[in-house]
Amino acid sequence: MVDSVNQQRRSVIKGAISASTLALVAASGLLLPQRLLAHWPSDAFNAETVEDALLALVGQAEIADDTALRFKVGSPPSYAVNGASVPIEVQSDLANIERVAVLVAKNPSPLAMSIEPTAALKLPFKSMIKIAEDSDVIAVIRADGKLYKTTRFVEVDIGGCA
Amino acid sequence: MGVITKDRIRAKLKLGDTTVRVLLAHPMHTGRGENEDGDLIPAEFVQDFRCWRNEVEVLTIKCGTATAKNPYFSFQLVGGERGDRITIRWVDNLGAKGTAETTVK
Repeated sequence: MVDSVNQQRRSVIKGAISASTLALVAASGLLLPQRLLAHWPSDAFNAETVEDALLALVGQAEIADDTALRFKVGSPPSYAVNGASVPIEVQSDLANIERVAVLVAKNPSPLAMSIEPTAALKLPFKSMIKIAEDSDVIAVIRADGKLYKTTRFVEVDIGGCA
Repeated sequence: MGVITKDRIRAKLKLGDTTVRVLLAHPMHTGRGENEDGDLIPAEFVQDFRCWRNEVEVLTIKCGTATAKNPYFSFQLVGGERGDRITIRWVDNLGAKGTAETTVK
């Protein structure tokens, strides 16, 4: 009787241990895919829609909130003469930023760049992008597992995706 | 139009934070553009850009083809002091590499 109880207890403990190790492995795998894969995410960059690009990049496309980040006024401008070089500036007060992505909705491949910051990085982030035709420019921030987004419609005179 | 022949980097201490500005010298061909003869120019663009401060990695940027020619990045790093070494490295889709280094002023 005592033996069988011990046996049972053993298997329960064993099961608990393997379950917790599995959970650990899964958690670390989920938390660090970019570090482990440290390659260029071609799925995300070759995607043809904003949703596909976001799904491939961060695994989600549901936007939680659109007030927490913003473009600087005039950067990107609402009217750009040369689409080959349009300035953008992303600003946000969010903490724990895991990812910043800049997308141009109507470009052949929307994802323009994906920034993987560490705790040492502070926004604003400025850069230049190409815009093929009149299109929404979208900035997405992933912080604490949620996506935040801001959009600005940019008209371009000369498309710049050559 | 002036020809930029090498990567430029500036880092400056401003209100306690370090502002880093980087201008890479790269044609950033998307693979969709044509040359004068109407032939497609093969894709050639920076894919991976990394920045270190005193040997500590602080930032990775993955670029797509929609990043403009001669890519420009500007960002801030929390804290820092004069003399910090800021290093950047980039790799393009053909395997070409570039590096630049500066100290915070």
